Amino acid sequence: MLTLSINGLWARKRRLAGTFLAVFLGVAFLSGTLVLGDTLRTNFDRLFTSVTRGTDAVVRGSTVVKGDRELPKHGPVDASLVAQVASVPGVARAEPAVDGYGALIGKDGKAIGGNGPPRVAASWVSDPDLNPYELVEGRAPEQGDEVVINRGAAKKGHLRLGDTAVVQTPDPVTVHIVGIATFGSEDGFGGATYTAFTLPAAQTHLMAQTSAVSRVLIKAAPGVSQADVVRRVSSVLPDGVEAITGAQLTKESISDVNQGFLNLLRTFLVMFAGVALLVATFSIYNTFSIIAAQRARESALMRAIGATRRQVLGSVLLEAVITGLIASIAGVFGGLAVAGLLKGLFDAVGFNLPAGGLAFTGATAVVSVVVGTAVTLLAGIAPAIRASRIRPLAALRDAAAESVAVSRARAVAGIALLAIGVTVVLSTVIGGGTVIAAVGLGALLTIVGIVIFGPVAARPASAALGAPVARLRGISGSLATGNAMRNPRRTSATAAALMVGITVVTLFTVFAASLKATVDRSVTRSFGGDLAISGGRFGGRALSPRLATDVGRLPSVRTAVGLGQGAVRIKGSDQTVTLADTSHLSDVIDLDVVNGSLTTLGPRSLAVSEQEATDKGWHVGDTVPVTFVDGATSGLTVGAIYKSSDVIDDVLLTRASWSAHATQDVDTVVLVKLVSGVSLDRGRAAVERVAAAYGGPTVEDRKQYAASVTQGINMILGLVYVLLALAIVIALMGIANTLSLSIHERTRELGLLRAVGQTRQQLRSMVRWESVIMSTFGAVGGIGVGVFLGWALATAAMRQEASSTLALPIGSLFVVLIVGGLAGVVAGFRPARRAARMNGLAANAGPGLVAATMKST
Amino acid sequence: MASNASTLSVPRSSTAVARAVRATRVYGAGDTAVLALDDVTVDIPTRRFTAVMGPSGSGKSTLMHCMAGLDDLTSGQVFLGDIDLGTLPDRELTILRRERVGFVFQSFNLIPTLSALENITLPSRLAGRKPAREWLDAVIDTVGLADRLSHRPAELSGGQQQRVAMARALASRPEIIFADEPTGNLDSKSGGELLAFMRHSVAELGQTIVMVTHDPVAAGYADAVVFLADGRLVDTMDEPTAERVLDRIKGLGG
Repeated sequence: MLTLSINGLWARKRRLAGTFLAVFLGVAFLSGTLVLGDTLRTNFDRLFTSVTRGTDAVVRGSTVVKGDRELPKHGPVDASLVAQVASVPGVARAEPAVDGYGALIGKDGKAIGGNGPPRVAASWVSDPDLNPYELVEGRAPEQGDEVVINRGAAKKGHLRLGDTAVVQTPDPVTVHIVGIATFGSEDGFGGATYTAFTLPAAQTHLMAQTSAVSRVLIKAAPGVSQADVVRRVSSVLPDGVEAITGAQLTKESISDVNQGFLNLLRTFLVMFAGVALLVATFSIYNTFSIIAAQRARESALMRAIGATRRQVLGSVLLEAVITGLIASIAGVFGGLAVAGLLKGLFDAVGFNLPAGGLAFTGATAVVSVVVGTAVTLLAGIAPAIRASRIRPLAALRDAAAESVAVSRARAVAGIALLAIGVTVVLSTVIGGGTVIAAVGLGALLTIVGIVIFGPVAARPASAALGAPVARLRGISGSLATGNAMRNPRRTSATAAALMVGITVVTLFTVFAASLKATVDRSVTRSFGGDLAISGGRFGGRALSPRLATDVGRLPSVRTAVGLGQGAVRIKGSDQTVTLADTSHLSDVIDLDVVNGSLTTLGPRSLAVSEQEATDKGWHVGDTVPVTFVDGATSGLTVGAIYKSSDVIDDVLLTRASWSAHATQDVDTVVLVKLVSGVSLDRGRAAVERVAAAYGGPTVEDRKQYAASVTQGINMILGLVYVLLALAIVIALMGIANTLSLSIHERTRELGLLRAVGQTRQQLRSMVRWESVIMSTFGAVGGIGVGVFLGWALATAAMRQEASSTLALPIGSLFVVLIVGGLAGVVAGFRPARRAARMNGLAANAGPGLVAATMKST
Repeated sequence: MASNASTLSVPRSSTAVARAVRATRVYGAGDTAVLALDDVTVDIPTRRFTAVMGPSGSGKSTLMHCMAGLDDLTSGQVFLGDIDLGTLPDRELTILRRERVGFVFQSFNLIPTLSALENITLPSRLAGRKPAREWLDAVIDTVGLADRLSHRPAELSGGQQQRVAMARALASRPEIIFADEPTGNLDSKSGGELLAFMRHSVAELGQTIVMVTHDPVAAGYADAVVFLADGRLVDTMDEPTAERVLDRIKGLGG
C-alpha cells in the first residue's frame, strides 16, 4: 500500500505541487510567527538579564501602578535610604539610580529613534557591576551638563564625543557628550536611546524632588546570597519601600514584556497564520477532490481486482499524510525566512524590535509539522471517503467525472447554520451585548454555514456573474460561465479559499473605518480649539508642561491647555487618567458635562466619564480613594461627570492634584484656542515659533489633529493587509491549481474547441474569465460576510463610545472587489497559457495519444 | 427534404477540394521513431463521400488529421483548395478550420456545458458571427433534432449526439467535412441512420465528406474508398459495397 501511495504521489507530482505549496506557505507562516515570538522572547530575556547582571538586590517604592499603554511603574524612594542601606551588614555597595524620560536630539534636530523604543535619561552609576552600560569612549559625567550616551544613539544621531546636544526631559537641556557607552557588547538596550547625567543633574531633570531617587541598587558582600541581602535590607526599610533580589527583578521585567507586548504580538500573528492555514485547507481539499475524481477509474479498477474500501481510503489518506509531512517540514524551514520578513515588516512600520539571531526551537518544529500534516490530512478525508465509495463497476465506464449534484441536505444544513450564525450575531449586537466572544462564535457559524451553502449558490452566482462576461466577451465568456457552473462544488471550494481571505480583509476594513469615523467624529465634535501641539502619537515624545504656559502667554492665544497622561489606582484597579488644568479646559474641549462643573474643580477632586460613573456607581460629591505611584492615597471628590470623549480618558485629574505625586510631569498634547479675529495662519506661525524652542513638536489644525489621532489605526490596518496578503496568495494558488487540474481533465474538450475553430487567444480568454468568475464569486461572498461581521464587531466593540459611528468604506470595498477580480486574472494566467499550448489533435486522437499527453503534463 | 436541396448549395470546385502530396509523418525520433504516413498522395474529389479504410495503425487517422490541419506533416504537402496548410501559422490555420472545415469525431464531439443548439452554432460564434438563420433551420430540420435543441449533450443519446455533431459540421457550410469513425461508438441502427444522413448531405446538399472508418458496412455508404496499410496508400475503390470492401480488407491482412 505504501509503495502504491508513493508511486501515486510521484505520478501526480505536478498536480500535487499546488497542495504542496499551499501547505508549505501556511506552515511557513505559522512557524515564522513562532520563530519570531521565540526570538523576541530570547532577546528580551537576554537584555533584561544583562540589565540586572551584577545587581543582587533593588530597593524601590512598593506601590506599583500600570497604565493601559505602558509597563508597570514603581514609586521613587528617598535618597537618604542609600546610606542607610549601605550600612546594613552583608551589603558591599549601595548606589542610587535615577531614570526617566529623556529624548536625545540628533544632529538633524530630530529626536533619535522612531516610534516604539524607549527614550531613557538616567543617572550614571559609577560601579561597573551595578551598571549594565560600559564606557567605551571618554569618561563618566562630572558636571551637571555632561552626559554619557549609548553608542547606538550616537551612531543614529551622528553625535560624537565632545559634541553639544539637547536632551528633552521634556524641558530642553543643553549637554556636552563626554562619554559613549555600550550595553554589554551591544550598541544599546534594543533600540532604546540612553543619556546618563550625574546623579544630581538626573535628580534635577527627572525627579519631582531632588531628594528622591528611582531606586537603590545593591551589591551583596562575598558569600551573602541575594535572598540573604534582601532579608537583611528589608528589616531597615520604612513602609512603602520594598527590596527584591536581582533575579526577581529580571523575572518581573521579562514577564511584564511577555504578558504585555509579546503575548499580544504573538496572538496577533498566530491569528493570521490561522487564516492562512484555513485558506490552505480549502485549496488542499479541492486538489485532493479533483485528483480523487480523476483517478476514479484507477480506484474502481483496484476495487475490481480485490482492494477493499479501507485500502483505497488508506492509500488516499496516506498520500495526504506524506504530502503534508514533506510540505510541512519544508515549511518549517521556510518559516525562518518568514520570521526575518515579519521582523523587517515590523521594523518598517517603526516597532524597532530588539535584534539578535533567530531562535528556532524544537517546539516550533514539532507544532508546525503536526499542524501542517493534520491540516492536510483533515482536508484529504472527505475526498478519500468519496474515492473509497466508488463502485468497481465504474472501471468499465468511460466518463468518471466528479459527482456534481448538490444535495438538498447540504442546502438545508448550510442555510440552517447560516441562520443560526446570523441570529447569534444579530441578537448579541442588537440585544446590546458587548460580548466579542458571542459575536465571534456567531461569525464562525456564519462562515461555516456559507462554506457549506457555497455549492448551492455557486451555480446561480456563476450564471449571474458570467452574464455580463458573456455579453462582453461573446462565446469565450459564455463558455467560461458554463465551465464555472459545471461543477458547483469545485467552484465553491475554490472560491471559498479566497472568500475566507477577503472576509477577513473586509472585516478589518469595515471595523477600522468605523473606528476611525468614531474617533474622528468624537475628536472633531469635542475639540473646540484651533490648534493642537503634539509630540507625535504612538509612543511619541513628551512635551514640557511649560510649553502650554508659554503658548498661553502669546497675545494671539486665548487659552492653551496641556493634557498629560498618568496612571493611578482607584479602589484597587489601575486606571489610565488624563491630567489637565481643568479651569480652562472647556475653552478647548467640549466634554459635554452632564453633572457638576469642570471650571470649579478643586485640587482635591476629579471628573469621570458618564460610562465610568455608571459602571462604578459614582455620583457628583462622592469621595473616591486614589493611590498615586509614590504610595500616597488621597480621597478625591467627584466634581463633574462628562460624556466620554476620545481625547480624554475615563478619569480626569486636575494638574494640581497630580503634580504633587508625579516623578516627571509631562504633557502629551497642548490644545490651543486662538483669540477671535486672529487668522489661523498667523496664530499657527506664532505658536510654531514658541514650540521651536521645545524641539519643534508638530502643530496641527483641527483637521490634521483628528487625522493624526486616527493615524495609528491606519498603520495597524496596513500591517493587517500585509499579513493577510499571504492568505490571499494561497487562495490564488488554489484557484490556479484548480484551473490547471480542470483543464487537464478537459483536455479532449479543449482539443475539440480548438478543432472546430477556437483560436489560442479565445481559449486563453475563456480560461481567464472562468478564473475571474470564480474569484469574483469568492470576493463578493467575502465582502458580504465581511461587511456583516465587521459591522457586528464594530457595533459590539464600540458600544461604550458616546459617538460610535459605523462607516461603510464603499471606496475601499470596491477596491477589494476589483483586486479580487484581478486576482482571478493573475491566477488564470498560467493555466490559460498551458491550456493554449496543448495540442488540439492530441486531445482527440484517441486513447493512446491522450495518455501520452497526460504523461507529459 | 429534397425540396430544400435546390436552395442549398456548397462551394464548388472544379478540381479536388483537398489534396495530399507525398505526405509523410514520423512520430518520435531515433530508435522509437514511428512512420505513421509514408509518402501518400491522394485527391479528395468535391461533392463526394470518400471513405478512408485500413487496419489499426495503417495511418488513416493521421492522414485525416494532417489533411484537416490538426497535425503537421514531417514532409510533403497538404492543400485545401489552393492553400498549402503547412505554410499557415496557428491562428490562420484555426480560422481556416473554423471557416472551411467541419469535424465529426468518434466520441466527445460536443461541449458538455453547451446546449445542442449552442454546440451547433459554436464555430460561427467563435468567429464572432451570427449563424445564417435560414441555413441553420434547414440543417436542424434535416438532422431532425428540432425538439432536442435546448438539451445538454448528457441528455442526448449517442446517436443524437453524433447527429448534433454532424449538424454543427454542416452549419458553417464548410468546403469539406472530416469524420473520424463517426459511428464507432453507436449501435448499428443509430450508426445506419447517421450514415444515411451523411450520404444524404452529399447527394442532396452537395457536401464533401471524408470519413475514416474500419467498418466495411460504413464504407459501403461512400462513393469511393481509399485503402491504407502501414502508412501507405495501397488501393482505391469506386462505388463500394460492404462485401467488396470486406474482401479487399481481408487481402490487406487487417
